[in-house]
Amino acid sequence: MPNQNGKVYGLTILSPIIDDEQVTPSHDLQIRNYLAQLPIDEQSPFALAPGTHLARLVVMDDVIYVGMPACEEHLKSKYLIFESNCDGDLTSYLTGLAATIPEHLNAIWIHCVGYPGTTNLQAFLNYMKSCQIDTTFFFAAVNDKSVPETLRALQTQHAVADFIANHQGTDPTLLQSDFIQLLADLKSMPLQKAGAMAPDRDLKTGGRNE
Amino acid sequence: MSKLNETDIQGFVLRGYNMPFARYLFLRFEDAGRAATFIHRLLGEVTTGQRWDSGKPLSTVNIAFTHLGLSALELPDATLLSFPVEFQQGMKKRAAILGDTGRNAPESWDEIWREDRVHAWLGVNAVSLDALNSRCADMLTLMRDTDGVILLDAQDAAALVIDGVPTTKEHFGFTDGFGNPDYLGVERSSQPGQGKLNSNGTWAPLATGELLLGYADEAGELPVAPVPHILASNGTFMVYRKLHQNLATFRSYLNDHAPFYAGGKEKLAAKFIGRWRDGTPIELSPDQPDPSITQDPARSTNFTFGADPEGVRCPVGAHMRRVNPRDAFGFDGKLINRRRITRRGLPYGVWTPEGESVTDSDERGVIFIALNADFSRQFEFVQQQWINYGNDARLGNEKDLLMGNHTGHGRFVVQGDTTPTNPPFVCSNLPSFVELRGGGYFFLPSITALGMIGMGLVDPR
Repeated sequence: MPNQNGKVYGLTILSPIIDDEQVTPSHDLQIRNYLAQLPIDEQSPFALAPGTHLARLVVMDDVIYVGMPACEEHLKSKYLIFESNCDGDLTSYLTGLAATIPEHLNAIWIHCVGYPGTTNLQAFLNYMKSCQIDTTFFFAAVNDKSVPETLRALQTQHAVADFIANHQGTDPTLLQSDFIQLLADLKSMPLQKAGAMAPDRDLKTGGRNE
Repeated sequence: MSKLNETDIQGFVLRGYNMPFARYLFLRFEDAGRAATFIHRLLGEVTTGQRWDSGKPLSTVNIAFTHLGLSALELPDATLLSFPVEFQQGMKKRAAILGDTGRNAPESWDEIWREDRVHAWLGVNAVSLDALNSRCADMLTLMRDTDGVILLDAQDAAALVIDGVPTTKEHFGFTDGFGNPDYLGVERSSQPGQGKLNSNGTWAPLATGELLLGYADEAGELPVAPVPHILASNGTFMVYRKLHQNLATFRSYLNDHAPFYAGGKEKLAAKFIGRWRDGTPIELSPDQPDPSITQDPARSTNFTFGADPEGVRCPVGAHMRRVNPRDAFGFDGKLINRRRITRRGLPYGVWTPEGESVTDSDERGVIFIALNADFSRQFEFVQQQWINYGNDARLGNEKDLLMGNHTGHGRFVVQGDTTPTNPPFVCSNLPSFVELRGGGYFFLPSITALGMIGMGLVDPR
């Protein structure tokens, strides 16, 4: 199935952006402006809404032919590209987005041709699905776990690594009782929010060498 | 390919001089014309890569320029703008990319590096302190005579003298300087383990273009280089970093953790680096140092990590394994052939034996000098991805124990097995053992290019 990799669904949506020369700034610039200001930590809309492993929103202005001899060709429209690796079936994922982050969806897609808004859920689902194209091959970093399962696994990994580091050379009896306590703590530990465990990484990325 | 034209390449590029004394002079050009005259007059002094058939000279001289320096020399704009962007920006502006933040941030650097004042590096190496002083005096005379260049500062560096003998050790007590790669066409007594790995397990020199501009690199491409071609060809790019060593912190961290490690203190130290302090690779000799290995060029660098994927002998995060992973990432080592750098430079400060009192604030460390054809692809990649990040080594966000910019939260895992003297061990709350005190990016031109700069002949058309 071209949109499925293990348990993970690979969603690709291309929505044509409204071309209206009367509007300033243009609709595509307004989308760019909104996207540039979206938070990327646990306040990211895709962290707030359930089911997203990874999402990307891109404004595609046009395509450039690279080759010789040069040839000029253009897209019929500018497009908003939405790519997401997500849990579950498509309908429930999109329904979750519409229920959790309607203000973000509407602020972005309002600049796209024929977008009906999220108020009428069926119209929203029909619109998104009509803009979908097959993802075909895609890579999923983790394809056998849901988002909550992945978060839980990371939380467990961190806790166990800390436990090992803090219990080196500990007396076996104390080690055992502490380990039993760790297991109990892990069970009762509330799941961390998506995006909250992003590394504290002060490196600037995006250099040519990455 | 045929032998390189060694008389056109600065000697500093082709060989480590193995001289125990060095002084790095940092110059500023006051006047373009008179500075060019200085370079012109310096031309006869610059040490080339020519073989020393008639014996080693008493001292050597080499020169390299910052982008600001080339601009102060009034090279044509079309040439200045053709340099790679990271060289145009300089190391200070690359701080965020390099992870030079917090205590390593430019605001904490030595004064000379905090402002963009350095135009050139004049490296003098010598066999004795007398020869060093004498050659440096000659340089100052030349500066005075030509009146276009001022000396901003000088950095002394020297091989650490232990028990009266100059050594290749650094302040933490490890023998340094094993890892420099071989390059095609560079005449050098090469040894297995120093070039790139062939799929049959033998070693071959790296493509010349990984070191020198104007030659094909490992991808069969010419490295990005300025115009005209003749300005770039036979030149290279140089990273200069003054790396301060927190010796008191290192010794106390090791002493505090060693009692909990069943392998003992020296083995723990060896696990940090990947070599015992005498230089024996723990991959080859996991239980004790072995002088017969360090003395044997056929063995001292001749090893791989493929048979030790879990890091049972050499930890996956050991410094040496991180910065030169050899075959650790699979694909016969092909993923690392374009990430190699050539190291020059010497320690600064005085060796203090174990047991004598030391403080972190003592002036000591290593002048790290690296040569590469492409800052971004080589030095910056190693610094960003392999020192300040761990993903390639499957170590998540963990940084290199020795060089990482830790904030007291670093972690280093010593992998182990069921042998009582080789247990797994976790080192937590890593402090910063090494801190950056400044530095810059330099262009180290060929002799021809120096002549063109000195005579005002650089023409990009």
